[in-house]
Amino acid sequence: MRSKKTLLAVGFFLLFSVMSLVGSEANTPPTPEVKITPELKEKFPMKPHHEKLAFKCTDCHEGQGDDPENFKAIDDKGCLSCHKTKQFLADRLKFMDALHTNPHNSIHDGTKLYCDECHFEHKKSDNMCLSCHSNDVKLWMRPTP
Amino acid sequence: MSKETMSRRDALKMGALGTVGMAMLSASNAMAAAPTEKDVKFDEEYDVIVIGTGFAGLAAAAKAAERGYKVLILEKMGRVGGNSVINGGGMAVPNSSWQKKYGIQDSGELFIADCLKAGLGINHVELLETIVKRAQDALDFSIKCGAKWQDVKPAWFGGHSAPRSLVTDNMSGSGVIKPMHEFVEKLPGCKIMTRTKMDDFVMSSDGTSVVGVTARINYRFDPKLLSDDMENKTGEKKVYKAKKGVVLASGGFSMDKIYRKLQDPRLVEDMDATNHDGATAGALLKAFQIGAFPVHIDWIQQGPWASPDERGFGVAPLLTQQGLFKLGVAVDVRNGKRFMNEMADRKTRADAEYVILREAPKAYPVAIGTYNTFEEQVYPIMEKGLSGGVMKKFDTLDALAANYKIPADALKETIKKYNEDAKNGTEDQFKKQSLKDVKGKEAIEMKGPFYAIRLVPKPHHTMGGLQINTKAQVISANTNKPIPGLYAAGEVTGGTHGASRLGTVAVTDCLTFGMIAGENI
Repeated sequence: MRSKKTLLAVGFFLLFSVMSLVGSEANTPPTPEVKITPELKEKFPMKPHHEKLAFKCTDCHEGQGDDPENFKAIDDKGCLSCHKTKQFLADRLKFMDALHTNPHNSIHDGTKLYCDECHFEHKKSDNMCLSCHSNDVKLWMRPTP
Repeated sequence: MSKETMSRRDALKMGALGTVGMAMLSASNAMAAAPTEKDVKFDEEYDVIVIGTGFAGLAAAAKAAERGYKVLILEKMGRVGGNSVINGGGMAVPNSSWQKKYGIQDSGELFIADCLKAGLGINHVELLETIVKRAQDALDFSIKCGAKWQDVKPAWFGGHSAPRSLVTDNMSGSGVIKPMHEFVEKLPGCKIMTRTKMDDFVMSSDGTSVVGVTARINYRFDPKLLSDDMENKTGEKKVYKAKKGVVLASGGFSMDKIYRKLQDPRLVEDMDATNHDGATAGALLKAFQIGAFPVHIDWIQQGPWASPDERGFGVAPLLTQQGLFKLGVAVDVRNGKRFMNEMADRKTRADAEYVILREAPKAYPVAIGTYNTFEEQVYPIMEKGLSGGVMKKFDTLDALAANYKIPADALKETIKKYNEDAKNGTEDQFKKQSLKDVKGKEAIEMKGPFYAIRLVPKPHHTMGGLQINTKAQVISANTNKPIPGLYAAGEVTGGTHGASRLGTVAVTDCLTFGMIAGENI
């Protein structure tokens, strides 16, 4: 999967290219387009930090056709195509290691958890730490993005 | 006709037979016998398949893999380790190298006597004897795999006659699971598949031996379902062959809302447990379906030291066991009176709490103590208990009584009498041993402040399970002999702990019998 940042850059480039190509046949491979309607937005809401990047459905659901109803959850590889590596994410929260509260490098699981044990794009995320530390998590970290 | 091979056309043919045919069809579906090797096409082939990634499963896998076998480990959850990564990492080892180093006298007979006392004498002693013989080997094997244990004097846990419990360096079972996981994955031909659920055993064509499993990959466990085992339809089906056999190490069923309630109707569906969500009975029941002997299934140990004011294990068990129970009291909020020996065994105390909760389901008893009742080791956790809200602090007994709606005068009378008994060295109404330590002093210091935690029993460990022999082979109820190709270890087995398990013996049981299964398969 290509990096989303690269995609954005390519997007702008293509926009200008297309302007100069008006009248001639654009020779790009057919990527399925999903029209994002208000209903679709309501059914599959996106996280604000992803929404403001103006992602299309198929940026993440790559090669899954053009019907959102049939899209499958993307796996860790999909998330990490932008978010680098689990070690990178753990290091970013290294300051939490001092109190053993780094959710990306916990005493129990290290850096091995699936992203979607906790993080969900189209529904509310669910902090796995809460299943045992129900009273402590609010002191340890903000709501799971 | 087996469920595996029935096509839609077959179903239509059966339908044509009329209602009698349909009745027979649904009967055979309800029985859902395990498929045989003739019914399936194997997608992949391994020497050994292990179900579960806790202490028992990984020990079995590591041992089998070390012997050169190609091992596949299936884990239905996304996380590796189940209950084994959310416990305190304590392992009781009788006659250990640690005890020798720190000059502690112990013996195998003493260990077995302790287990039998807590287990009400119904333990299967040959399994305890096996633990005595092999626990040190299991400890050494965990170290070989990379586990690190604190190099300090072994801890002295409740019910043990000697200090014999080692604790991992990070005070979690993950101190064993993480290195063992890496050890297994480094060995050629071995892999762990998470989010992969075993559905059925695959039997030999004559139905006597286990030769593989059916499973679903990309399985997403759903804790919101009443029974994930019965209702969850996620994932894609695969069939795996196990040339040497299958090790079932799928754990206990403290979170199985249906099966635990069948054994103990006090365990209502919405009741919390100290276990992870995936601790269900599905794989255990599959082993029963192919004829394994059940042992002690309805002995479910409940922690009387847990609190309804937090989920799971939480911090209450530490604060009550090492803070409020030894010198403090637990009272019935309806009358302000004590109702149990706060230092009795787990079962006695849980039963006493249930007497109250059956009469008044929300009248959670309250444990009360003062600063002097806490042991030094839990001082750092006191703040955690207070900030999280599990424990509350009051300047006066009147304020405490008002908060929990306890009759204040009755509560004061209870504590006055309790303190007098402690001070005079006379036996209190529940014959609490630990009060002897405070003769001449107040057990609960009346100057306050007072600390309080609400109590509820939570399912913690399911003692029962499959019958195994000392080689970790599962015994058949059809033949009273081992089921060829089926081994089991850990909480999915029964008998070892009898009616009630002593603290820190679960890790010993799991690592020892997991290793033995890996040696014998």
